[in-house]
Amino acid sequence: MLPRRFFSAGGPGGYNAAMHSNMAGGVLAALSIFAVTAAHAAAPDEIRSLTLDNGLRIIVWPDHDIPNVALYNYVRVGSRNEAPGITGLAHFFEHMMFNGTARRPPGEFDRDMEARGGRNNATTTDDLTIYMDWFPSTALDLVFDLEGDRLGHLAFDPKVVESERGVVYSERRLRVEDDNTGFLAEQVQSTAFAAHPYHFPTIGWPSDIEGWTLADLQRFFKTYYAPNNCTFVVAGDVDAGEVFALARKFLAPIPRQAPPPAVRTVEPVQPGEKRVTVERRAQTPLLQLAYKAPKADDPRNVTLGLLSTILAQGDASRLHRLLVEEKKLAVSVDTYLQEGFDPGLFWVFVTLPEGGNPDIVEAVIDAEFAKLVSEGVSDAELARARNLTNVAYFQQLATIDGKARLLGEFEVMHGDYRKLFDLPGAIARVTREDIRAAAKELLDARHRTVGVLMPTPAASGPRPGGEG
Amino acid sequence: MRHATWVAGTAAAVLTLAVPVAYSAGVTMPPYTRTLLPNGTVLVVMPRRDVPLIAFTALVRGGGVVDPVGKPGVASLTAGLLEKGAGARDAFAFADAVEGAGGSFSAAAGTEAITVAGQFLAKDQGLMVELLADALLRPRFDAAQFDSLRKRQIEELKAAKDSDPSGLIRLYGRRFLFGDHPYGSPASGSERSLAAITREDVLAYNRANFGADRLTLIFAGDVDADALTKAVTRAFSGLARAATPLPALTSPPRVTGRRVLLIDQPGAAQTHFWLANTGVARKFADRAPLDVVNTLYGGRFTSILNTELRIKSGLSYGAVSGFTRGSVPGEFAIRSFTQTDTTGKAIDLALATLAGLHRDGVTEDALGSARNYVLGQFPQQLETASHWVGALAELELYGLDRSYIDGYTAAIEGVTPAAAKRVISEAFPAAGDLVIVVIGDAAKIRDAVAKYGPLSETTLAAPDFRARPQ
Repeated sequence: MLPRRFFSAGGPGGYNAAMHSNMAGGVLAALSIFAVTAAHAAAPDEIRSLTLDNGLRIIVWPDHDIPNVALYNYVRVGSRNEAPGITGLAHFFEHMMFNGTARRPPGEFDRDMEARGGRNNATTTDDLTIYMDWFPSTALDLVFDLEGDRLGHLAFDPKVVESERGVVYSERRLRVEDDNTGFLAEQVQSTAFAAHPYHFPTIGWPSDIEGWTLADLQRFFKTYYAPNNCTFVVAGDVDAGEVFALARKFLAPIPRQAPPPAVRTVEPVQPGEKRVTVERRAQTPLLQLAYKAPKADDPRNVTLGLLSTILAQGDASRLHRLLVEEKKLAVSVDTYLQEGFDPGLFWVFVTLPEGGNPDIVEAVIDAEFAKLVSEGVSDAELARARNLTNVAYFQQLATIDGKARLLGEFEVMHGDYRKLFDLPGAIARVTREDIRAAAKELLDARHRTVGVLMPTPAASGPRPGGEG
Repeated sequence: MRHATWVAGTAAAVLTLAVPVAYSAGVTMPPYTRTLLPNGTVLVVMPRRDVPLIAFTALVRGGGVVDPVGKPGVASLTAGLLEKGAGARDAFAFADAVEGAGGSFSAAAGTEAITVAGQFLAKDQGLMVELLADALLRPRFDAAQFDSLRKRQIEELKAAKDSDPSGLIRLYGRRFLFGDHPYGSPASGSERSLAAITREDVLAYNRANFGADRLTLIFAGDVDADALTKAVTRAFSGLARAATPLPALTSPPRVTGRRVLLIDQPGAAQTHFWLANTGVARKFADRAPLDVVNTLYGGRFTSILNTELRIKSGLSYGAVSGFTRGSVPGEFAIRSFTQTDTTGKAIDLALATLAGLHRDGVTEDALGSARNYVLGQFPQQLETASHWVGALAELELYGLDRSYIDGYTAAIEGVTPAAAKRVISEAFPAAGDLVIVVIGDAAKIRDAVAKYGPLSETTLAAPDFRARPQ
């Protein structure tokens, strides 16, 4: 489990699924995983976009393979927009967006959507709050009505605020307080950032979860839930004209607001390695390394994504083979490149066996990174990373959920959904020397935070009886 | 995140796929062929020609339920070793071959089968068959790899106990509910049982269970069907029948009354609970009303359970229910969690909803909503080639025909209040007949849970999933 992903699970298996049929021919051509040329790829013709007068942006990708629709609303607000006293508010707001409007009492949003065959979820990250609906195309009008209603007329019932506070605290207990990886990651992230609001955990500090007020919520809604701060993406069994007509009917009447204030704080250059140690009741020690990394729209990120794959994706990856298979110092190792509006972190997560020594693991990783920086990677390693990345990219675009998610991600985080279709070309252009140079820049111990979770002495030992 | 999904966990078993195989108007089961090879292996091929990927699933019937008595985890280690060296490739060469092609290949033991699943680019169809045949026919079961994997699986269980216990509670629960019935045996093994398993156990499992009569191979996607059939027939022709016949499972009994298992996690901020009894089998005739009623009771966000435990009370981040339906009845289970102080309150509320379901039934309006929900969500569950190999594997494993999928729309549309009433009575346990399994800070919650029935205990750190002998 990775800290960003705590709040960013996705749709119904979109990332796990393989391809489905009837993918548009144009898409196939654009995404050809055999492409090795540097040609600028065109977005499929059937994708349409529109910006309403109130600033709301909407992108439509028709795909009639199944009679269903995935709708994503990317709202540009996350824990990055918070301050002491209101940490966790963006995530709490994600919950409150389902809890009633001036026109509909709490609960009706879900009841109406489910009664017409639809399902929803939402997720909050450091940078974004993302709302998702999956429904049969016969419910398209209802879903636009519901989405427009909550953006235009959200209401706050004080009783519901209190019960939802309990729900969010339960989520914090689940993901952080009773989960050692989550607990350590919260400490590492808040240590890594001294000034920038990436310092704040997305779930919020406990005292803030208990303390935020109705006035905080109202101010937050007015500031961030403006149509000009939202991007809708619709993929599936729809006609673009029909979607635009519904958007004009249900979303266009919502008034534009002043743009939200920019996040001004820039994290100063880290002057040296930081370390944080956590003592917890546990059986297995944990080690996390978090290196300062570029922001999402930095061109180096394609290279860093491949580096991450080379290091820890799959049994043939470098760190897995070294730490888990050969030296048997770790039970598992994962890496994760956090890509946000501002420079974030590149994470290495290691779970050690009981009694394992994190100092030894850290030294082995350091030596391997030094070797990587001096010798680079092999052709086979780069080819493997390219193939795995291309197949994963394909898999995500195989579902309407993946299409909606990726279009939104590229539009919001990279400034233009069309850049999605440049990715295979960009992957093909990365060289071994690019990887080595990127590793040299990224894997600088002076710019990292090291987190260690050490078990406190165990209370219970083996006992007789039983076999499984 | 707003809410978690129901399918949790550690046990990647075919049996645990709680997703109902349903179907919706406007989607029809694509054509596929089913061939019985001369040696008894079943080959299923579903061509889906639009994109250059092939998804596959291989089933070796047996799984965790045929683990030697007292040694759960042998099937799991056997499965794990299939990709740790086979044919001409050692473990590293095998991983290089799979991932170098951008493919995926993973094997795991489920309750009733070992499943090998993955996907490759269409151009690598030959490589895919070669690797699959090597793994299934020529695994090396290298001694060093055995030792390494066994230790790692033990450490993975320890690490899982340091994480969110949502996925583990079911292993304790099934052991407590089913006892020494094979469904009680954790396919993952336990720290204790894994430590006792030898390489000879794995070799014996392989001899006894890996045979042509136990094997089903399923492919969907951009296949060259003729070439694939020829290659598979040739590659697997040398496989003989398994050394032992597949033993038939008996149906586990339902429990009457209540009993409680308390698993101590000192210092836990939250209590997890799992309330269960034996439910119904995969071939349960009233499957459509079962799916509709479970949707209403604990299968969607506005379900009765989630409304009480989350929406109205804020006691929990989520509460769900579901049936695990195998060759014989698995469990019906309710699962949720709450902060330590409200343990009794939340369990009381869950029990009250179950009593209410039996007392009040469901309304006709609610049935209509749930029918729409099940039908509306289904197409996205059969969107891709890997979805289809999963659905076909389910049909094959449980001996179902395609009407299980093709007849589902009509069956859901035809669910009546009388049928709903019938399944509530036949399949949903009474609130007074349940095993109650709780993970939490025992010192703080013992009194709250002891009131539900006779109490057994263990600790999360203990190296197995059993109650401590009393």
